[in-house]
Amino acid sequence: MTGREKIFSLLSPIVKKSPADQTETVIINGQAGLTRYANSTIHQNVFEVNSKIYFRVALGKKIGVAATNVLSKDGLKKALGDAITIAKNQRETADFQGLPDKLPYKKLKTHFKKTANLTPLQRAEIIKKIFEKAAKHNLTVAGAFSTGESEIAVINSNGVACYQPVTSANISMTAMSDNSSGYADDLARNVDDLDFDQLAETAIRKCLDSKDPQELQPGEYTVILEPKAVAELLEWMNYIGFGAKSFQDGTSFLSGKIGQKIMGGNVSIYDDGNDDQSMAFPFDFEGVPKKKVFFVQNGLAKGVVYDTLTCVKDKTKTTGHALTPDTAERALGLNLFIKGGDTNLKKMVESADRGILVTRFHYINGLIDTNNAVMTGMTRDGTFYLENGKVKHGIKNLRFTESMLKAFSNVEQLSRQRKLIASWWSDVGCITVPAMKVNRFRFTGKTSF
Amino acid sequence: MKEIIKETIAWLKKKGVDYADIRQVKRISESIKVKNREVEAVSKSEDVGFGIRVLYKGAWGFASSNILSKGEFKRIANLALQIARASSLTQKEPVRLAENEIHKDKYVSPCQIDPFKVSLDEKLNLLINACDLMLKKPGIKVADTTLNFFRSQQLFANTEGSIIEQVITESGGGATATAARNGETQWRSYPNSHGGDYATRGYEFIQEMELLRHMEKISNEAVALLSAPDCPAQETTVVISGNQMALQVHESCGHPIELDRVLGMEISLAGGSFMTPDKLGNLQYGSPKVNIYADATTPGGLGSFGYDDEGVKAQRTEIIKEGRFVGYLTSRETAPLFKQKSNGTMRADGWNRIPLIRMTNINLAPGDASLENLIADTKQGLYLDTNKSWSIDDKRLNFQFAAEAAWEIKDGKKGQMYKNPIYTGITPDFWNTCDGIGNQSEWHVWGVPNCGKGEPMQTMHVGHGVSPARFTRVKIGGAK
Repeated sequence: MTGREKIFSLLSPIVKKSPADQTETVIINGQAGLTRYANSTIHQNVFEVNSKIYFRVALGKKIGVAATNVLSKDGLKKALGDAITIAKNQRETADFQGLPDKLPYKKLKTHFKKTANLTPLQRAEIIKKIFEKAAKHNLTVAGAFSTGESEIAVINSNGVACYQPVTSANISMTAMSDNSSGYADDLARNVDDLDFDQLAETAIRKCLDSKDPQELQPGEYTVILEPKAVAELLEWMNYIGFGAKSFQDGTSFLSGKIGQKIMGGNVSIYDDGNDDQSMAFPFDFEGVPKKKVFFVQNGLAKGVVYDTLTCVKDKTKTTGHALTPDTAERALGLNLFIKGGDTNLKKMVESADRGILVTRFHYINGLIDTNNAVMTGMTRDGTFYLENGKVKHGIKNLRFTESMLKAFSNVEQLSRQRKLIASWWSDVGCITVPAMKVNRFRFTGKTSF
Repeated sequence: MKEIIKETIAWLKKKGVDYADIRQVKRISESIKVKNREVEAVSKSEDVGFGIRVLYKGAWGFASSNILSKGEFKRIANLALQIARASSLTQKEPVRLAENEIHKDKYVSPCQIDPFKVSLDEKLNLLINACDLMLKKPGIKVADTTLNFFRSQQLFANTEGSIIEQVITESGGGATATAARNGETQWRSYPNSHGGDYATRGYEFIQEMELLRHMEKISNEAVALLSAPDCPAQETTVVISGNQMALQVHESCGHPIELDRVLGMEISLAGGSFMTPDKLGNLQYGSPKVNIYADATTPGGLGSFGYDDEGVKAQRTEIIKEGRFVGYLTSRETAPLFKQKSNGTMRADGWNRIPLIRMTNINLAPGDASLENLIADTKQGLYLDTNKSWSIDDKRLNFQFAAEAAWEIKDGKKGQMYKNPIYTGITPDFWNTCDGIGNQSEWHVWGVPNCGKGEPMQTMHVGHGVSPARFTRVKIGGAK
């Protein structure tokens, strides 16, 4: 980690002296270790130190972007020069209204020393205990445990100077028997917030309970989706529907539906980068403070997230959701939430006469019909048949093909407790969701395990 | 840099490692996106660093850094060693590597026109003109175009004495026309969806794509899809286009033959494989017409290279022979399971990632029919063109694909267009119904630049040489 002062003293003079009309730089700097295991053996164990520095420059309305990980004077000079050369040869971007001005952002504690300093040996010792727990049940374990720290800074020629250091700790584990598996995971800024024993017990119990799975015919079922499964659906909904671009292109399931009822009245979906109960991160990659944005509120379509470019088309303001400067996608939600309900997972199961409990999905794809948020995917690692309020037995995995507008209109219950689920952007956010009981969820296929 | 790498290798040898390798990589890239005539993004990127992989007392450690100083090489080498010691805490069986020849060589991928020397203006004009042609068609709301170029320069050295330099240039791009009406959108892409087609070639690959010649067709078809009926659910014969066959091979053959996946090393994320070792030589994976091979020497293939990332020479391996499963993709760690040498498929997504078993070019050998004949010889069925969505279970058995468009085939002729076609199946059942494969003139190596695997996630560039093919008794379902 370089630190706020050093980063600002390295990059601020470059921004100040840049010959472009406007200049912005974003730095992502950090180190991370990841220990991966399978068959109750550590088989991959990696560490990385890296930096990425983006320059975005504007010559009038012509924009150029270049990135490098070479932090030397020459490396930075070359990257800035590349961005200026691109801008010179560019066409004008009509919607460019200038780089954002400086605005205050929320102070958040997002960096924890112990997480940053956890050694490969400490990770291995934690993992070894998980293997030992599983071995008592003749099970093996596979998964990954990562810890790391990064610092993200945004500086621009309008005076923006944002800096935030972060840590994250993320563990996933799949307990395996000959014909079943059980999954558990957790994510936190502070490694002390991870309960490894409880996670191992969950994975082991799911694996044991789903042994000798029985076949169930596809069809419509009441499903209880655990938070990991809900998050996997939400991640795709974000990708196809919550960003300004898909909304403006007309491919989003929110396009043309603002103000209309598209989901059940008990469903509210939003993005909030300042909620420190989750993986909070207070500003976007343009240095704009994050606003809380509702995508769906009490079942009504409400809006999408914007950066300073996409907001112009819709005559609105940026919501502080810009992605890195090289990303054509522009803006997405990175701190996604579904509002919790008033029950818990145990009561949900008890309320089900007949249904399916889903731990997680595999390989969801949401490109089938984005206007109706139709998705497909498989269940995995702990899928159970429920009868008369009890888990009856494990079942072989099923394929769903379903519209999320329909599914989220059929939500009967949501748990009060919500869980943090990692996504590919976990340094700057995650998905925080409850378990959901959904009626008439459509399974269209099955597999043999 | 070579000297620092040699010194670090010598230091690691002194420390008593079983094996170590160092890869120093410089990767440059250029990405251009034009949407509705407006430039959405133009960016250049440079990424430099090195990674050291150490096998110590049979356990792996890997560390990497973007700081190219002598001191940092030493620090990272030491860290990789410490990490290997930590890995040994849970070691059951020590890792033993298959033997490999020592190579001192340089490989440069073919590149007639350096894409990084073609002016930005020429590239922007191509994409803006493509947008113009798409937007001419009333009903087209979004015209999306993209070009991407990559060059990777790598220096590999290991404790066995190999020193290999490689320079690989990749080019690719494509276009998508999206039509919209009454809250519905439909799109058609050329030459392929999800970003187009890619190759280990220079800008000549983009020129040969003849992007502008195809914009009118995809625009017309995207608009026509809005009025087309939904594809009816049925069980029927399908003729599948080449670009969709590429993804069919990728998902249902390419991934399940990765031996690390088979051995459970990827089970927690990407999953396992139904093609377990007991099935090698025994499983009738497909009909006798099906021959699939891995070939890292396919000219221009996106999965082509000189040596893999543990210094094994690029080669061809039979995977499916006359329908029978005969081979895996292997590494130096996994090949000894079958008393074999690695067949050279360990690839890393940059200096900061360890190599994993990855697809190279997984090719379906051409058959003897033209596409015209495959259709003419079909009494009743569907022609499915270009991938829209993909999904497969974690052992690679139950798959479901959506295509951008379908056409009814009746008495050997293409007729009614359908929208939202989906087909689904179980991998070996599906491939065993293959009764026709397009000939050499239909065969094309499609580049797939977004194959994901591993933790941390690694995105690999792979290729699939395929022709259109025909399958019977395929289950078709609608999206609704």
